[in-house]
Amino acid sequence: MAMMTDTSPASVRGNHFLLHLIAALALLAIGGGYVLWEVFQFGKVQFNTTNAGIHWGLAIVTYDYFLLTSAGLAMVASLWHVFGLEEFRPVARRCLWLAMAGLIGGVAVLFLELGNPWIALWATPLNMQMASPLFWKVLLVGVYTILLAIVLFGMINKPDAGRNPLMMLVGLLALAITLVAGAVYGMMAMRPMWFGGEIPVVFLIESFMGALAFTVFFSHLKNGFSHGNMRPETRSLFEGTLARMFAISIALHFILHAGRAVTGLWSNAEGLQVWEYLVAQPMFHIALWGCVALPFVLMVLPATRSNGLMQVLASLLVMVGLLISRYEFIIGGQMVPLFKGTWAPDLLPYVPSTGEWALLVLAVGLANVVYAFAAWRLGAEDRG
Amino acid sequence: MPNWGMVIDLETCTGCQACTTACAMENSRLPGENWQDVLFYSEGEYPNLNISWLPRPCMQCENPSCVSVCPTRATYVDEGTGVVLVDWNKCIGCKYCMVACPYGVRFYMDEAPVVEPDVREAFPARGRRTWNPPFRMPDEYEDPSKGIGIQPSGVVSKCTFCHHKISQAPEGVADLDEDNPETREYTPACVRVCAPKARFFGDLDNPESKVNELIAEKGGVRLREETGNKPKVYYLSGGGSPVVPGSRSRRG
Ligand code: SF4
Ligand code: SF4
Repeated sequence: MAMMTDTSPASVRGNHFLLHLIAALALLAIGGGYVLWEVFQFGKVQFNTTNAGIHWGLAIVTYDYFLLTSAGLAMVASLWHVFGLEEFRPVARRCLWLAMAGLIGGVAVLFLELGNPWIALWATPLNMQMASPLFWKVLLVGVYTILLAIVLFGMINKPDAGRNPLMMLVGLLALAITLVAGAVYGMMAMRPMWFGGEIPVVFLIESFMGALAFTVFFSHLKNGFSHGNMRPETRSLFEGTLARMFAISIALHFILHAGRAVTGLWSNAEGLQVWEYLVAQPMFHIALWGCVALPFVLMVLPATRSNGLMQVLASLLVMVGLLISRYEFIIGGQMVPLFKGTWAPDLLPYVPSTGEWALLVLAVGLANVVYAFAAWRLGAEDRG
Repeated sequence: MPNWGMVIDLETCTGCQACTTACAMENSRLPGENWQDVLFYSEGEYPNLNISWLPRPCMQCENPSCVSVCPTRATYVDEGTGVVLVDWNKCIGCKYCMVACPYGVRFYMDEAPVVEPDVREAFPARGRRTWNPPFRMPDEYEDPSKGIGIQPSGVVSKCTFCHHKISQAPEGVADLDEDNPETREYTPACVRVCAPKARFFGDLDNPESKVNELIAEKGGVRLREETGNKPKVYYLSGGGSPVVPGSRSRRG
């Protein structure tokens, strides 16, 4: 990775982002190619699982992961745009472009997973089922997409674009999307693992933590993974406020995640036995200790907190850990079979298909294509 | 308007699955994807073993969570019959209703076949139909806006209480009974074929109906009352044991 500074010539910057774009396009071609081949060959059979009980699989995990990261990134950008926190100015533009990139990656996966995505475009807004959290989610995501696009359009190749008042709405929508996304699961009284008023708050903290992880990673990527290449104000943000915020959000995530696991293990309630299974899996511990506790320690100790490489490591661990815990949450909530009789297993097995993995690759590729193109051609990285 | 409901007498049911088969034929279900099924439960180990079974259609809830979660109102309560139906023209295949149904009675076709070989390949169809079953209801009965007929891909389906039959019933009848020649044709397929007569179908709002009499006199119970869904399917269990053992209690 070439060392980048804001003073490097535009052509060098361009090369850096062009390389990123080419790599992202390759990823998109691999994931998207496989997905399209499967869709034309077999339909969407591979993305959906079975009527035995796992109705939302890795595709929905991927969609929610990208959507909530996008919402979190818009919230981080709002710290400057809405609240005027000058410190966050250097990362606000990057966060907004990343928010759009994540949104496009996530929504593309949702479109491929849904049975009739095009009908959703008119049937959801026109039928006004206000009791459904998904109705609100679709509505909010639609308006959020439009407003975010307007904000971004206004800053294309304008390095000195100031705070945008429209960001008040974008930030508010991002907050609402996160809370409603939590309610989609939290309102399900028939699924005890999901049920609870705390789930929207859990989602809020996770989306903010995830957004900080992506901000850390892509800011370092832009600066050649070295604090030495950063502008002084960007560097002080990463060695000060942002690192502390990151540590606090990781700690809150740890408390909520471990707390729910302990409560689930203690309870005898039907449906919560899935926690026994989850906690017995190595993935649970990799996520909790390796991808939450370890980054927390890295971000708490002064020596590692201000070290660029340690920050990058912490951000990567958090990104992976968040994906694992979202997977455990969404799949785990469906694993106890409902009314399937004795010959159904105690817990439904689930392994993502190749097609579902390809959707994840597609989302990563597409999001990176959007970001890298914006950085290369649209001035997404003209600051900090 | 009648408020159709069902009573299933578990002390009479033999678990023969005739209802399941009749439903599959009537509603062109794929093998293994049964709107109506009989679930078997075992508790304990031989020789201290208890086996029970539970015929399980859609509960046609009074407070259906599948309706309130559906973002497009594709799932709705039919005004004429009180039955919960799916409009296949509006369903986007988000499967939220499947996640939100406490009774696990909704079905999506875009999946690997439950039973091999895949009959969809043996009986391929053109157009919206996903397959062309050799047995099926007359075409004029099909109504995608009510989720009746051969299920297309990308949408969710569920038991309709044989809406195409019960909606034609003469006005004001208290029960749809296969033993009554006047109502036989309008009786749901699963009720009509039940040899030991373990299933009863009638108007829950009519004080004269047999279903109301059975619920009152034999102590009809509904499944998973704690969800507040208020099923319109009642079980007569003789009061001896819970209708369905929880999977934790089965494990001991
Ligand atoms: S049993 Fe399930 S599908 Fe049937 S009405 Fe109730 S919630 Fe809806
Ligand atoms: S799958 Fe169809 S019927 Fe079910 S909630 Fe979604 S749109 Fe409604």
